[in-house]
Amino acid sequence: MGLLLVFAAVFVFMQYNAFLYQDTVVRVTYVDNTFSYDSEGPDGDVERYYDQSMKARILNGEKRGAEISLSNIYSDSGVNDESYRKGDRLFVSVSKDVKTGTILGKKRDVYLVMLICIFLFLLLLLNEKRGGIIFASLLINISVFLFALSMYGQGGKLISIAFALMLVFSILTLLFAGGFHKKTFAAILSTLLTTLLCYGIYEIVLHSCKRLPYEMMDYVVNSADLSDLFLTGVLMGSLGAVMDVSISIAAGVAEIIKQTPDISMKALIRSVREMGYDIMGTMINVLFFTYISGAIPILVVKIKNGYTLYHLVNFQLIFEIIRFLMGAIGIVLAIPVSGLCAVLLLHMGNRNEEGQVK
Amino acid sequence: MILTLSIILFFLMVAVGGNRGLDSFFALVRTLLALLVNIYLIAWGMPPVFITVVISIFFVVTVIYSQNGRNAKMHAAAFSVLVVLIFILMTAGPVLWSAGISGYNEIEQYEEISMYLSPDLGVSMSAISLSAVLLGLLGAIMDTAVAITTAVNEVHVNQPLLTEKELFHSGLAVGKDILGTTVNTLFFAGLGESIMLAVLFMRNEDSFATILNSKALFQEVSGLLIGASGCLLIIPVSSLVCANFLMISEEKEEKNEKMLQKCYKYFEKLLKFVKDMLK
Repeated sequence: MGLLLVFAAVFVFMQYNAFLYQDTVVRVTYVDNTFSYDSEGPDGDVERYYDQSMKARILNGEKRGAEISLSNIYSDSGVNDESYRKGDRLFVSVSKDVKTGTILGKKRDVYLVMLICIFLFLLLLLNEKRGGIIFASLLINISVFLFALSMYGQGGKLISIAFALMLVFSILTLLFAGGFHKKTFAAILSTLLTTLLCYGIYEIVLHSCKRLPYEMMDYVVNSADLSDLFLTGVLMGSLGAVMDVSISIAAGVAEIIKQTPDISMKALIRSVREMGYDIMGTMINVLFFTYISGAIPILVVKIKNGYTLYHLVNFQLIFEIIRFLMGAIGIVLAIPVSGLCAVLLLHMGNRNEEGQVK
Repeated sequence: MILTLSIILFFLMVAVGGNRGLDSFFALVRTLLALLVNIYLIAWGMPPVFITVVISIFFVVTVIYSQNGRNAKMHAAAFSVLVVLIFILMTAGPVLWSAGISGYNEIEQYEEISMYLSPDLGVSMSAISLSAVLLGLLGAIMDTAVAITTAVNEVHVNQPLLTEKELFHSGLAVGKDILGTTVNTLFFAGLGESIMLAVLFMRNEDSFATILNSKALFQEVSGLLIGASGCLLIIPVSSLVCANFLMISEEKEEKNEKMLQKCYKYFEKLLKFVKDMLK
């Protein structure tokens, strides 16, 4: 309950935090939409365009409280434009006479913080201790990521940074998830091995196939190492899934050994396979939906513009599909590798200890 | 490259999973085809959110039942996935709508691609973005729901005398163990995807305020956060539904007309209907 109050307070603060910004923030107080013109698209669809004339009140800076008028054009589909509503908060640059302004963009921080708060609330509601640990590990991972990014920005070599990042991510995340325990080390070992294997497969396939159309990627920057940037993203995506599989299998093996310490190697391997079957299908599904769904909007835009499926798969979806396939390969590879690591470290370890006791 | 990797994946799945690996691979192909049908139907002018919900029901039925068979625990999983999906649609929809998630973001607007693609499409991009978020959520919540209901069913089989409430709590206890793993998977997938954007922000030397309010960041992060929240939400929902369904499926003969029992029966009817439709 107290948690809810804190989040409500954060939300209200975000709504009224305009004074923190240097850019001018306005609140739209009045909107008038009038139909402007029709435009015909490539499919023969009619798109209606509207003019918006708005009045807005300035919320921060020296001109606080002044009212300005803004104008905007939007269409029904909103592919390349946006409609504004009463109560929206916008960033604007104000003209010298403080009468009009140009819209720079919407103020979205409220919604972002709101989504984060809802996530955190659910996490803490389900289990305060575990939830807190998970959130802390996410935060630390993000800071490590940002740190690595700044290293890269200062001219560090991308591939070596990427591998250091993988190492730190897997050790941190798995320690947070499993604690100081033998099974955690088995999981870390198998995660690293599987990721290396994935990297090997990726490099071999990459060099035996024709060059990827990197310049078709989203958010391309003018830099020579597009292929390495993409590789880093691919490996990072599969890392998460590989860690998930590794920790599940290591925990499962640890549990079995705890229940029946004198289990035979053969029986143990059989139960690893059994666990693997259960994990494989569902985990691959998770990755599939996560990766492919993000591309839906641009796919619809392109289909409407008459692009063929061949073009879409080979130039638009290709990066999502490769990300997904590498993640799926990682998941499948992780099953035997983590089974092997867990069995070797936990089962053999047990025997050695027993031997020493004798 | 896609073909080579697919072949590698196929052989690995068969090698590691045997017959079941083969089944999973074909299930994957079927899912891909259904998703393409979904996208083309949207492009041909069907209402995006409606079509997505219909296709989601298809996904839920095929994925959950084909992998695990038809029984009370899978009914519970499918039912709770649909409940959470509808709930997210109702709650996240307005948030995304008012945050303006749709269309090109400020970076894409100045890329070549948006210059020569016509924006006059006659389809609402907001609805399409919402559909994309819903579909992105689907895989993760199905995974968690199946894990929870399987575990609750296991507890029920081993200790048949436990009450509904105790079953619910055992579902929550299982949920605590798997809480982090799916969230982590989603997190790293999202991080890997947004690496290009992060580098771009850095190269442009955008200020923190600009990044925080940008549409590009919101588009990347909102799907991720909603997916993760859905994963958490489904833990109590599926525990509760599964505990109820297990109880109800046993006292079917007693004709005890409870609210949830009715739901259960309607749900079975709906499933039959969907199956007939598919045929």
